[in-house]
Amino acid sequence: MMDASTLPVLSQELLLSMAEELKLPLLQIARHAEQTSLSGTIDPVRIQTIADSALRLVDNYVLGVRLALEPEELLGESVSVSSVLYDVGQQLDALAKSYGVTLELNIGGRYGPVLAHRKGLQAALTSLGAALIEALPAQGSPQLKLYLATHRSRYGIVAGLYADTKQLSNQALQRGRQLQRSSRQPLTSLTHTSGAGVFLADTILHAMRLKLSTSRHHHLYGLGTIMQPNHQIQLV
Amino acid sequence: MARILLIEPDKLLAETYAEVLRAEGHQVVVRAGAQAAVTAADEARPDIVVLELQLVEHSGIEFLYEFRSYAEWQKIPVIIHSQVPPAEFMGSQKILKHELGVNTYLYKTRTSLRELAAAVKELLVVEA
Repeated sequence: MMDASTLPVLSQELLLSMAEELKLPLLQIARHAEQTSLSGTIDPVRIQTIADSALRLVDNYVLGVRLALEPEELLGESVSVSSVLYDVGQQLDALAKSYGVTLELNIGGRYGPVLAHRKGLQAALTSLGAALIEALPAQGSPQLKLYLATHRSRYGIVAGLYADTKQLSNQALQRGRQLQRSSRQPLTSLTHTSGAGVFLADTILHAMRLKLSTSRHHHLYGLGTIMQPNHQIQLV
Repeated sequence: MARILLIEPDKLLAETYAEVLRAEGHQVVVRAGAQAAVTAADEARPDIVVLELQLVEHSGIEFLYEFRSYAEWQKIPVIIHSQVPPAEFMGSQKILKHELGVNTYLYKTRTSLRELAAAVKELLVVEA
């Protein structure tokens, strides 16, 4: 068993960030309910989407904690990145629609499987995606479009989420990690929230011995992670 | 009826707040960020500003410094309606009130839609 204080996913900073983040969906639901009592019209789809997204964030956090506490659960498996991105897109679809963001899968090319923990990878990318969906309209981006994409780089297979506006620099991400304790908005160039989704993705990937970093995909900017191809499977 | 500039970065909350204020008979212009809000203020000539402090890139406080630097906007009432608890500004009350001309500070998580609408109404009555 690892010492809990050394595990970022169990850090007080991430808990603080999660608590701040969860205020937003609760506030959205509370005010929507109040609005309903004033106007008499209710949008059940909106309430369901907001609640589902908040529950997913909590679920992903729980998965991250479990993976950190039981590293033996982290045995790598052969994972198709395209299929993970497809599932992430499915999970984020309703939230994206409610924020007016178009999701587009860009998984052209055959890269073969990678060695990763499927559930962990999906949880990290879903948390990241939800954070970026909420952030895009707040950035005043003229085009509200988020690409779930994969490509091959000289370091491995990259999977990430991209938009046409500059998201974060590696320095801003690093500074954000350091500011998590003291600032209620540590990723100020990216999001108006505590950025819990980004930090959760960061810590789940860290538990999987992967790294969240800034990434380019064609002319787009984003955040992603690099994984190694599973050559054994490819040989078979 | 008044023209309200609502600066709210969360799209879903912005829709809710704008709808309620419109139902009160106001004209509402919504902007998500500080830069866009300064431009919008120039075009919309608001009678009142409702402002979140946590914005992307430039904060609500930065917006206020910019906004108040123009003579024609120095008297426009401002309501801070923010996720940031007012207790965090305990040491800066004078700056908020006298330097930046903040009339009312509402903690978003504890403020109902009715209370927001009432705060807007109250300031408009005072200014009239």
